[in-house]
Amino acid sequence: MSSKLPASPLEPRAQDGAPKKKKILVPKVENGHETMVEIEVDDVAGPEWGPREKLRLLNHEFVRVDAVDKVTGRARYTHDVRLAGMLYAKFVACPLPHAEVRVDLSAAKQVPGVVEARVVRDGEIRFVGQPVAVVAAKTREAAEDGARAIKLDLKPLPFAVTREQSLAANAPEVNRRGNASKPDERGDAAEVTAAFARCAAAIEATYSVPVQHHACLETHGAVVDVPSNDAATVYHSTQATFASAGEFKGPLKVSDVEVINEHMGGGFGSKFEAGVEGRVASELARDLKVPIHLMLSRKDEFLAAGNRSGCTATVKLGGTQDGKLVALSASVDRFGGLGGGSHAGLPYIYSVETSHRSMRSVYTHLDGNRAMRAPGHPQASFAMESALDELAYALGVDLVEIRKRNVGDVHAKQLERAAREIGWAEHPHKSKPDLSDAVVKVGIGFGLSQWGGGGHPECRVTVDIAPDGGVRATVGSQDLGTGVRTYVAAIVAEELGLPLGGVTARIGRTSYGPANASGGSVTTASLAPAVKHAAFNAKRSLLEALAKTLASAPDELVLDTQGVYDARSKRRLSWKDACATLPPAGISAVGEWQANLASNGVHGAQAAKVRVDTRTGEIQVVKMVCVQDCGLPLNRTGVRSQIFGGMIQALSYALFEERVIEPDLGLALNANFEDYKLAASREIPEMVAILDDDDTRGVIGMAEATIVPGHSAIANAIHNACGVRLRSMPLTCDKLLLGLAALKKG
Amino acid sequence: MGVLHLKINGDDLEVAAPGHWTLLEVLRYRLGLTGSKQGCDKGDCGACTVLLDGKPVLACLTLAATVQGRHVTTIEGLLPAHVAAGGKGADPVQDAFDRCGALQCGFCQSGMMLSARALLNRNPQPSDAEIKDALSGNLCRCTGYTQILQAVELAICEAAGRTPTPRSWERASCADSGAASASDSGERSA
Repeated sequence: MSSKLPASPLEPRAQDGAPKKKKILVPKVENGHETMVEIEVDDVAGPEWGPREKLRLLNHEFVRVDAVDKVTGRARYTHDVRLAGMLYAKFVACPLPHAEVRVDLSAAKQVPGVVEARVVRDGEIRFVGQPVAVVAAKTREAAEDGARAIKLDLKPLPFAVTREQSLAANAPEVNRRGNASKPDERGDAAEVTAAFARCAAAIEATYSVPVQHHACLETHGAVVDVPSNDAATVYHSTQATFASAGEFKGPLKVSDVEVINEHMGGGFGSKFEAGVEGRVASELARDLKVPIHLMLSRKDEFLAAGNRSGCTATVKLGGTQDGKLVALSASVDRFGGLGGGSHAGLPYIYSVETSHRSMRSVYTHLDGNRAMRAPGHPQASFAMESALDELAYALGVDLVEIRKRNVGDVHAKQLERAAREIGWAEHPHKSKPDLSDAVVKVGIGFGLSQWGGGGHPECRVTVDIAPDGGVRATVGSQDLGTGVRTYVAAIVAEELGLPLGGVTARIGRTSYGPANASGGSVTTASLAPAVKHAAFNAKRSLLEALAKTLASAPDELVLDTQGVYDARSKRRLSWKDACATLPPAGISAVGEWQANLASNGVHGAQAAKVRVDTRTGEIQVVKMVCVQDCGLPLNRTGVRSQIFGGMIQALSYALFEERVIEPDLGLALNANFEDYKLAASREIPEMVAILDDDDTRGVIGMAEATIVPGHSAIANAIHNACGVRLRSMPLTCDKLLLGLAALKKG
Repeated sequence: MGVLHLKINGDDLEVAAPGHWTLLEVLRYRLGLTGSKQGCDKGDCGACTVLLDGKPVLACLTLAATVQGRHVTTIEGLLPAHVAAGGKGADPVQDAFDRCGALQCGFCQSGMMLSARALLNRNPQPSDAEIKDALSGNLCRCTGYTQILQAVELAICEAAGRTPTPRSWERASCADSGAASASDSGERSA
C-alpha cells in the first residue's frame, strides 16, 4: 500500500542531492530492557509541535477514540476471536518443580470432542507450570476433559526453589555454570571503605522484595488461522505485533503472516514473545488445517507467563552531618527463577561520592522472570529510598532535604512540589519517626523515579485524505491500553484543523505498516513523531494540490479549523469543499520518525501518607502524590491514567503482592487472583497526579517511571508513622505488629 | 444437552447447551456475546459481571440453567436498555466512563460498569465508601481505579443535577504555590 506511494515532497534533500546526516543517541529496547545506541538521521528541520498555548487537542484532556467500543463490549480481544471450525486448545502443565516427565496421551485421545493430543515437552522439566502436553478439541470443555485425561508419569528430581536451597553446599544443579552467577562488581571497595571513615553516620541493612506478577487481565495467547499454504493470520495478544509476525513464520512454515491485535488486555512487559503458546497453536493449526484458539488459563498465566524478579540487597550507606551522601556499598542477589532477574543497580538515582556494589543472579527451579514495567527499577528504589531514610533519621536531617541535597534541580523542584501537596510543612515528624503512644498514627514518605522513554525510528505512518473529507491514519502499532489509537487520531486532527472525530486511526495489524514493539515506554516517542510527520506531509500535499486548483501558491494557503483560506484570492473553502477538489484517489502521505519531536529522560517525585493502627497493625494508604514530567503530554487524561495506574501497581506491590512458593514441595501456593491479591477499589487512597508543565521538551514516554517509587514511599511513610522499619515487602500487618513489639522491648 | 430458555438483553432465546454450563460459557461460546470477559473462571476478578434482574452476578459462577426466565443484562445490552427506557444514547455510566478516561486496556471494564450500574439501580446517591464497596469485586490492573471512581461519581452527580467535586488535578499544577492539601480543604480525588 504505502510502499507504492510517491516520495513525499518534503523528503529532506541536501544541495548536493544527498540528505545531510547527523548522529544522535536513541534508546534501543529489547525485551523491555533499554540501552542507548547511536544512529544517523537526516539533519533537516522537520515539523514542529509548535507553542503549547496554540495546541487545540494535544496537551488537553480528551476522550479516547476507542472508548465507545470498549464501553459497549464491541472491542474484540484475542480471547474473543471466534472462527469457523476453530478448535480450542489447552495445556497440561508439569505439577513439580523438577522432574523427569513421560506423557501418556492415549486416554485423552478417547475423550469425545478431542481432535488432537500432543506432547509439548517431556524428559527433564524444570519448573512448576511448564507446559508438557496440549489437547485440541471442538469445545473448550472437551479440551479441559481431554487435558484431565492425560496421564503424567513423574519421577521427582531434587530441586531448589529458594535462595537457601539454591546456595546450599549439596544443592541440585539449577544452572550449568553454577547456581549463582559470577558477581558483577562496580566501583572500588577499598575507596569506599576509606570513604565511610569520613561519614558522620552510616547505616547498614538488608532489604528484600518478593516476586511480583504482571497479572494482565487478558492472559497470554493466540488464535492462529492458516487458510492456505503460504499465508496465515495470527490474532495475538502481544506488545510486539511486528516481531511476533516473524516469530510465527517459523512454526507456521509460511512466508506471509498477518498479526492482528486490535485490542489487548494489558501486557506490562510480559507479552513480547510468541511463547510456547504461540508456537504450539501454530503447529496445531498448520498440521490440523483448522484455526486454533490457545489462551492460557489464569493458573497457567501465574505459573509460566512472567514475573518481576525478586531480590535482596544488603546496603551500607553513609553521609556527612548535613546529609550529603559519601559512601555506599551494596551486595545484591537477584531472583529470577531460571532467568537472571533484573536490577537497576545501586546507588539508584541519588548521587553518592564513592560506591561499590556487587550483584549476582541466584537461580532456582521457577519460571524465568520477564521484563515488567520499569524492569529492575522498583527493586533498586526500595533499597535506596529505605536506606536513605534510615540514614536521614540517623543524622537527624529532614527527609525532603536529604533527598534534595543529592539529586539534580528537576528532581529537587518536583520533590518540593510533592512535599507541598502531601502537607510536609505541617507534618511534625520530619527528621525522626513518631514514637508517641498514640494508637492511630500518620506518617509521610517520599521516593523518586527516573526513566528513559525516548523514541527511535521504526514506525511508518500513512495519512490518507479522501475527496469526501475523510481522513485516515494507519500504522501497525499495538495499543496495550495506553491510548495509542487516540493520540494517533489527535495528532493528525491537530495538524489538519479537524475535530478529533474527523480522523479515523487504524492500528493493530502488521499490514498497516511497521511500528516498534511497546517496551521501555518507547511507543509514544517513537510513534507520535512519525504520525506528526505523516500529517504534516499530507497537509503540504493537500495545499499543493489546492494551490493548482485555485491558481494560488501553497504558501498563500492557510489550513485551520475553519478550512482553507487563500490569502491571494481572499477566498475561504470549507474542509469538505477543499477535499472535494482532490482527484478520486485523494492524498496519501507517509511519515517517519523525526528526532526533533521526541526527547528522552523523565523524572518524577512521589509522596505517600499512611495511617497505621498500632493495635491491629492495619496499614492504610490515605493519600499519594506524583509530580511527573513527560515532555509534551499528548492526552492529559491518558497521562494521568498512566500515573494513577503505575502508582497503584506500586501500592499493590507494597502491601499485597507476593508469589508464595512452598519450599519443601516446591509448589506455587497462590497462582490465582483469590490468593494473590491485587489492590482493588477499597484500597485506593486520595490520588493526586501533577504534570510538570515546566518541561517544554518533545514527547517522551513516562509510564514506567510511575511505578518506580510508590512502594518505597509507602514503606518510608510507615516508618515515619510509628518507628518500625519494614525491610521486607510486602508490608503486612503481621510484620508491623512484630516490629511494634520489638520496638516496645527496645 | 438440553434447551435453556433465557432472557438476554430483552430477547427471549432458546439455547442448546449442557445443563452444567455456566452463564458465561453460554454467553461467550454459544451466543457470541464476548463483551463479558473470562478473566479467571473462578469468581475472583469480576470481569464477567452481568446483571440478573438488575443485580450484579458473576456469570462464571452462575449456572445458566438457574437463570431461566429471569432478565440477564450484559454489557452489549446496557445501551439498548437505556434507550428502551427512554434515555438517549449510552447509559450514563458508560458515558461517564468515556468522559473520565476510566479505562485503559478495557478488559475489566464491562464488569466494572455493570457493577456500577447495579449500585446506582439500588442506591442512586451512594457514599464514596459505598461506591468502593460496590466495585471491590472488580479487578483492574491498568488504571489505578482513580478515574473509575470519578466516573461513577460523575454519573451520580449528573443524575442529581449536581456538579461533581473538583478533581485533584483541576487545582494542582506543578507551578502552583498554593499549600492547601486536598484533604485539608475537604476535596478529594476518589
